[in-house]
Amino acid sequence: MNQTRQKHLRGGLALGAPLLAGLALAAEATPAASSSATDPLWMVGIKAFLVIFGLLTAFAYMTLIERRLLARIQVRQGPNRVGPGGLLQPLADAIKSIFKEDLVVARADKVVFVLAPMISVTFAVLTFGLIPFGPKDAFFGYDPWVIDLDVGILYVFAVSEIAIYGIFLAGWASNSKYSLLGSLRSSASLISYELALGISLLAPVLLVGSLNLREIVEWQHQNGWLILYMLPAFAIFLLTSMAEAARTPFDLPEAEQELVGGYNTEYSSIKWALFQMAEYIHLITASALIPTLFLGGWRMPGFMEQIPLIGGLFALPYLWMFVKIALFLFFFIWVRGTLFRLRYDQLMVFSWGRLFPLALAWFLISAMVVAFKWPVAVLGWLSLLSLVVFLVYAILTARPKPRPLPRMGAGD
Amino acid sequence: MSIGFWEVLALLVLVGTGLAVVRLQNAVHAALALIANFLVVAGVYVALEARFVAMIQIIVYAGAIVVLFLFVIMLLSAANANVGQDLLPRLPWVAALGALGLAGVLIYAVTRFQPPANAPALGGGLPQALGPLLYDPEKWLYALLVVGFLLLVATVAAVVLIEPERIIAATSHPAHPRQDQKPSPSTGQQKDERAVVKP
Repeated sequence: MNQTRQKHLRGGLALGAPLLAGLALAAEATPAASSSATDPLWMVGIKAFLVIFGLLTAFAYMTLIERRLLARIQVRQGPNRVGPGGLLQPLADAIKSIFKEDLVVARADKVVFVLAPMISVTFAVLTFGLIPFGPKDAFFGYDPWVIDLDVGILYVFAVSEIAIYGIFLAGWASNSKYSLLGSLRSSASLISYELALGISLLAPVLLVGSLNLREIVEWQHQNGWLILYMLPAFAIFLLTSMAEAARTPFDLPEAEQELVGGYNTEYSSIKWALFQMAEYIHLITASALIPTLFLGGWRMPGFMEQIPLIGGLFALPYLWMFVKIALFLFFFIWVRGTLFRLRYDQLMVFSWGRLFPLALAWFLISAMVVAFKWPVAVLGWLSLLSLVVFLVYAILTARPKPRPLPRMGAGD
Repeated sequence: MSIGFWEVLALLVLVGTGLAVVRLQNAVHAALALIANFLVVAGVYVALEARFVAMIQIIVYAGAIVVLFLFVIMLLSAANANVGQDLLPRLPWVAALGALGLAGVLIYAVTRFQPPANAPALGGGLPQALGPLLYDPEKWLYALLVVGFLLLVATVAAVVLIEPERIIAATSHPAHPRQDQKPSPSTGQQKDERAVVKP
């Protein structure tokens, strides 16, 4: 018994230390060659702390907002008892989950069982720092982002790929066949959608010519929002990031009604909460990334800033980014409230058979436009064409509305 | 490039995780140590101004390949390595001696190496700098095409390896049965066979 324990300890040390060392080494090396001057390291640390703290608060209140909005969609009240308008509900939930008994399953692999939720949360948090919320020096004289990497989008991919490990180690470490099947199921679907996500982002990167999120936002300020040129890529990115955050049409990982939940069946208390946290942070990050990449980031369109009296309002940092994030969060909740879930085979066919070839085709088209130096407007017209084709298809294949039931009036 | 605290730490962690990959008895733990190793290797790449390669290291190796390893380990319940009989109990010591010898030769070779005086500018190892080299017909384009062909071969090979019977049944036409196959009495039965072979 003692020997296995030592082995576990060794395993834990072997896994924990390299993360820190690798990150520190990368952090030390990166600022020197970055394209813009950076903040001192202590300021980066403070901003990282603020982002994590902000994300945790945002996650807690996201759960409340989601419950209230879902309730509104279903014409009922959400949680409104704890605190004014239910505002203390997240706090109550947090206190409950902290004081619940934290079980570790007897036959579980102890180290990996504890490690898995940590991996999930850590790598969910790491992406958000890249997203610019304003121009340089907009954060009390410092930059409104945590790190400014010139391989920004690749970093986003890398982090979200590693985040999958959390799910899939959790299922294995629980030492339950059902958890393992659930985790393999969800990690397989996440990996499949990751591919379409990557290919869909190639086209905008090609057009902008940079992987840096800040430069992508700047390009959109100069040339117009990328959604105008890249509508198919936007659509694919929206769908795949919904799948990445395991939201409703694709939320098999946490399908309560399905085969024994999923990877987090054996988890309780704070570890279970960490998985939920990771999922919501993915959601928030996705709804921040979509506007950053396709909807002009923190900026509103240039012509709006030219409006005489209120034009300055449209150039404000932070504000419009938060508005756009809220918009997409609302969209995700709306989708959850109204759509059904895909079956697992449909999920995979949709990813490999539809999204992936479509993303590849659009990438080739935009590569052609960029390579032959055709005007960018060609892509705009093609986007419009794709929208028209999609709408015509949707209208033609729409099912007829079911006939309303005959009214059962008092006279019948 | 000076050798500082972080470089030494990274080296120690690299060696430590490498030893863990070789020594840990639980295959999943070993795979996790391998991922940790890849993360640090990516950090070292960044420090050596190869940032694109660093990110690809994480995305492809840690994010895709080790995931596949773990899938296989988990689906086959092969985490525990201590199964079966050890026929050569002394082999690890011999192998360790061999490894030490190899390390000695390599260390001797590396210490004799002189770095070139005029190293080319790396441009931070960004894809913007790598692209022109990669797609230049006079540099690496043909190698890239060969790699693409290799990937195609690998894909087809993987598919064929999984289900050879199904592939043969699907490719042989009922009117022209293959030589190595028993000719079936009627096309109807051939169809039935296909239906059975298909899972």
